[in-house]
Amino acid sequence: MAMAAALRREGKRLAPLMSSQPPINTTLRSSLISPLDQSSIGGARSISTQIVRNRMKSVKNIQKITKAMKMVAASKLRAVQTRAENSRGLWQPFTALLGDATSVDVKKNVVITVSSDKGLCGGINSTSVKISRALSKLNSGPDKETKYVILGEKAKAQLIRDTKKDIALGLTEIQKNPLNYTQVSVLADDILKNVEYDALRIVFNRFQSVVQFLPTVSTILSPEIVEREAEAGGSLGELDSYEIEGGDTKSEILQNLTEFQFSCVMFNAVLENACSEQGARMSAMDSSSRNAGDMLDRLTLTYNRTRQASITTELIEIISGASALTG
Amino acid sequence: MASSGAVPFWRAAGMTYITYSNICANLVRNCLKEPHKTEALSREKVHFALAKWSDGKPEKATIRSDTPDI
Repeated sequence: MAMAAALRREGKRLAPLMSSQPPINTTLRSSLISPLDQSSIGGARSISTQIVRNRMKSVKNIQKITKAMKMVAASKLRAVQTRAENSRGLWQPFTALLGDATSVDVKKNVVITVSSDKGLCGGINSTSVKISRALSKLNSGPDKETKYVILGEKAKAQLIRDTKKDIALGLTEIQKNPLNYTQVSVLADDILKNVEYDALRIVFNRFQSVVQFLPTVSTILSPEIVEREAEAGGSLGELDSYEIEGGDTKSEILQNLTEFQFSCVMFNAVLENACSEQGARMSAMDSSSRNAGDMLDRLTLTYNRTRQASITTELIEIISGASALTG
Repeated sequence: MASSGAVPFWRAAGMTYITYSNICANLVRNCLKEPHKTEALSREKVHFALAKWSDGKPEKATIRSDTPDI
């Protein structure tokens, strides 16, 4: 590109010279000015048609690719959506029993950020990261600490920049097999074994509709904190009114319950986030194809204008040449 | 509240409730008859990569198993 521009500049400087010596004109001109570049002798600059044609071809290819990606995302969305909606029933009884205590004040917070491995999905990963950072800031104070557990590559890339030392675990390649409860529960088990926590806060995007995703935080308290809150009264204080069957004590039941609650909520979170990822990718690819279409229209206009200008120039040259011969 | 008598055997062995319920679910799935059995077992595949962090990125353990028991 730079060379073509340089050649064009040379052409402009030599143009008055050449116009005063018509016989040498054509040979000199063809060797000095690049064959692709057609600037008229008067020095007006116009972009060459070949360059515009190349651009149009590449923009059209991009449009095809983004349209195909949108179709793929739409079909994947349909597959995951029913499962995500069905999995909502798993954690609703837990919320009815134990409440969703977002405002509980605890010392050790663990923020679990659910994000995608692949990109091109709009802004959902950035919103999750933003909320995770806000949560850790909310929970900062004397002898309170926040650690991160990151699911997915995209959040890892963003959080590694300024909160590297607060990351406890990173988990990737989750979507290699279709998502199932067993995988998520193994994941949840690993998190429970590796991280000490008083409260787990899972940050994900809940799927409302194909164009709307709501960033959500689900809180799960550790059994000790649940007992503490139950004694303090409030929504958890009613736990004692439940009868306990079998040989387990209340603390054992609470421990089993919180582990299972964590696993269920994680399952729902991962499914909803996968739905939101496909939906966001659909709308991102859709707007990208539309932009590519607009760009193609503008380029077509430029191409036609350039083509007509060069035809007009040729006609003028022919006619003036002819009239010079006859007249 | 410390060690109230009978802790269930699986918790004494170091398993969490989640692991216990997964093993039970695996046993139930293995009781199915053939066409449903393979399709149920395909719903159990686990694959992910876990990396523990300490100020940088140390070991990368890939846990991939066809049966999800740890």
